[in-house]
Amino acid sequence: MTTIERGREIGAPVYESADVVVIGSGAGGAVAAYELARDGRSVVVLEEGGYYAPEEYGAMTPSNTLRRLAREAGLSAAVGLGDTPLITTLAGKCVGGSSVLTGGVCFRIPDEVLHEWSKDLGLARMTPERLDPFFARVEERVHVETVPEHMRSRSTELFVEGARSMGVPMKSLRRNTHGCRGAARCNFGCPHQAKMSVDISYLPAALDLGARLFADALVERLDIAGGRVTGVRGRFLDQETGEPRVPFTIRARVVVVACGSLHTPVLLRRSGLDAADIGRHLTLHQAYRVSAIFDEHVGGWDGALQSVYCDHFLKDGITLVGVYSAANVLAAGFPGVGKAHRRLAEELPHLAVFGGMVHDEGGGTVRRWLSREPLITYRMSARDRGRLFRGMQLLGQMAFAAGAREVMLPLFGATTFKSKAELDFLTERPPPANRVECMAFHPLGSARMSADPRRGVVKPTGETWAVDNLYVIDGSVLPTSIGVNSQLPIMGVATMLASGICDDWTRLARRAA
Amino acid sequence: MIAAPRLARTRDFARTTLTRRHRALVRGFAETLFAWDAPRGTDSAARLDAFVDDVDRFISPASKTLRFGLLAMLDVVRLAPLFLVGRLAVFEDLAIADRTRMLERMEASRFAPLCLVFVAFKTLMTIAYYEEPSELAAIGYPGAARERYKRVATLRAQASP
Repeated sequence: MTTIERGREIGAPVYESADVVVIGSGAGGAVAAYELARDGRSVVVLEEGGYYAPEEYGAMTPSNTLRRLAREAGLSAAVGLGDTPLITTLAGKCVGGSSVLTGGVCFRIPDEVLHEWSKDLGLARMTPERLDPFFARVEERVHVETVPEHMRSRSTELFVEGARSMGVPMKSLRRNTHGCRGAARCNFGCPHQAKMSVDISYLPAALDLGARLFADALVERLDIAGGRVTGVRGRFLDQETGEPRVPFTIRARVVVVACGSLHTPVLLRRSGLDAADIGRHLTLHQAYRVSAIFDEHVGGWDGALQSVYCDHFLKDGITLVGVYSAANVLAAGFPGVGKAHRRLAEELPHLAVFGGMVHDEGGGTVRRWLSREPLITYRMSARDRGRLFRGMQLLGQMAFAAGAREVMLPLFGATTFKSKAELDFLTERPPPANRVECMAFHPLGSARMSADPRRGVVKPTGETWAVDNLYVIDGSVLPTSIGVNSQLPIMGVATMLASGICDDWTRLARRAA
Repeated sequence: MIAAPRLARTRDFARTTLTRRHRALVRGFAETLFAWDAPRGTDSAARLDAFVDDVDRFISPASKTLRFGLLAMLDVVRLAPLFLVGRLAVFEDLAIADRTRMLERMEASRFAPLCLVFVAFKTLMTIAYYEEPSELAAIGYPGAARERYKRVATLRAQASP
C-alpha cells in the first residue's frame, strides 16, 4: 500500500533518511523520483503544494483550481522593466506541479535548438540522437498521441480555415492524453483524468516502487557541509493558516532540486550558493490570445483545448498554437465595464480563440525578496516586442480571413477591431508593450546548464558546479529558450539526468559516505 | 492511481484577506462591473455578499506580499474618484454611473499601473462571477456536455462495411 503523507495533518517533527530526496513533484521531480526508485534507490519526494486527487481537482471550478493548485492563486506575475508587459506566470503548486495545469501539448526540443546547445554551448550530450531514447521512454509512459482532426473545436477549425486562405499551413499537435473527451479545460485539471499529468503517469509508479511523498512540505534550506549536500530541512504547512509550522529534516546522499525555474534559484540562494548565474537568464515564452466574434454559432468549448499549431513563422520567432479556455476565464479578457462587457460576454457562443507565443531572447531574473515567493522581473528586447505585435496581427488577419465580424486583441483598454486594415497599427505604430495582456507558462533557464563553471549553475550532468551530490533537474537547467511547450522537454532531460545519477550511483554514494 | 489518502478531500487553509472596508469596495466594484439592464432578482444583495466571499476565498491562498499588494490596489481604487471623476467621495459611495465612468477611465488610462489595478480585479472578479451556472447559462454556455469526441464513433461506423 502506498500513500501520500499530507503535511498539514502531521503534528510532530519528522526525521527521515533516504538515498535521494527530491524537492518538487512536477515534470522534473516526478520523473527523477521514478527513475531513481526504479533503480533501487530509497526516495523521498517533498512537495510544497497540497495533494488533490484527480477526481477531486477534475470537479473544481477554475477559480478553485487556481487558488488550490496554482502558485499565488494564479495571480503571480513577472514585473516588466522598461517597455515590457506585466507577464502573468502560471505555475503549479500541488502534487504533480504544473503538469496538472498544462494543455498537454508535447513537443521535443527542436533540433536547431539542440544544435546550438551541443555545438555553441559545448553541451555534447544534448543532441537529438542522444536524447531520443529518453524522449521515447517519456512519450510511451505519458501516452503522447497526435490530436485527431475530429477533436478540433469549431474555434480551431475557423482559424485553420483563415490560415489556409492566407497560404499558411497548420499542423496537428501531439498531447499526452488518453481518452480525451474535448472538455477544453485541461489547464484547470482534466475532468476526465484523460490528461496523463505526472500525478497520474509517474508518481503512482514511483510510489509503487517504494518512494514516499510528503505534500504541504516547504523546504527552507539545503544542508551543506564540506562542499557536499547532506540533506534538507523545512517545515510542514499549518492546517489552519497555511504558514510553515512543524519542522522536518531529511538526511540524504543525493539531493535533487526540482522546484521549477521560479523557485529553484530562491532555494539555492537561501542555502548559500552564490554563483552569479543563479536566477538569471530566465526565459518565459510570452503568450497571448486573440479572440474573434463570428456570425455563426462556434461553441468553441467543444473539442480539444489545443489541437493544432503553426511553425510557419518560427524563423521569425513566432509560434501560433490553437487554444481555448474556460468560459469565465475568456470573459475575464473582454474589454469594457457593465453593459459594454456584458454585450461581449453574450457573444461567447460565437467566439473563436487562437494563441501565439514568442521564442524569446530571455531577459528575466528571479530574486528572493519579502515573502516565500520570488520577485520576477523581465526586460523584453525590441526584437521580441516586434514578434509579439506581429504575431497578434497575423492572428487577427487569419480571423478576418475566416469571416470574423469583430476581433479582440489582448490590449488593455482597446475596443474591438472590425477590419483587417485596422490591425496595421500593430506593426506600423505599435502601442507600448506594457498595454499588452501577456501570459507565460514555460519559465526556463534560471539555473542553466553549462560546460564552463563561469557560465552556468549546473554541469552537463545536472549536478551543481558548487556543491557535490546536489542536482537540479527541472526547467531551470535548460540553457536557452526552446520556442515550444516545455513539459516534454523537461521530462526528457529529467530522464537523461536521472539516468546519469543511476549510472554514477556507486561513486556518488562513496562520496556521501 | 495513487492510493486513497486518509481523508477523502484536502481541507482548505482557513484564512481570509479582505477587511470590512475592502469588502464594501469589492462589492461596489462588482456591482458596477456586472451592471446591465437585465432585471435583477430580489436576492441580488445576498448574491453580491456571497460574491465578495468568493473573491476573498480566491485571493487568500496567495502570499502575504501579494495579499498586501492587492489590498493596497483596492485602496487606490477607493481613493481614485477625486482624481478620475472629480468627486470628493470614496469609490463605494459613488452612484453606479460615476463608478462606471471611473472604471472605464482606469481601463483606458495611459498610466499603466492604474490600468493594471483595474485589470487585476476585473480578471479575478469576472472569473468568480461567471462561475455561477445561471450566469454561464445566461451568456449561452451549455455546461459540461460535449459532442465532438463522439464523432469518431460515427466516423468509424461509417468506415466499417
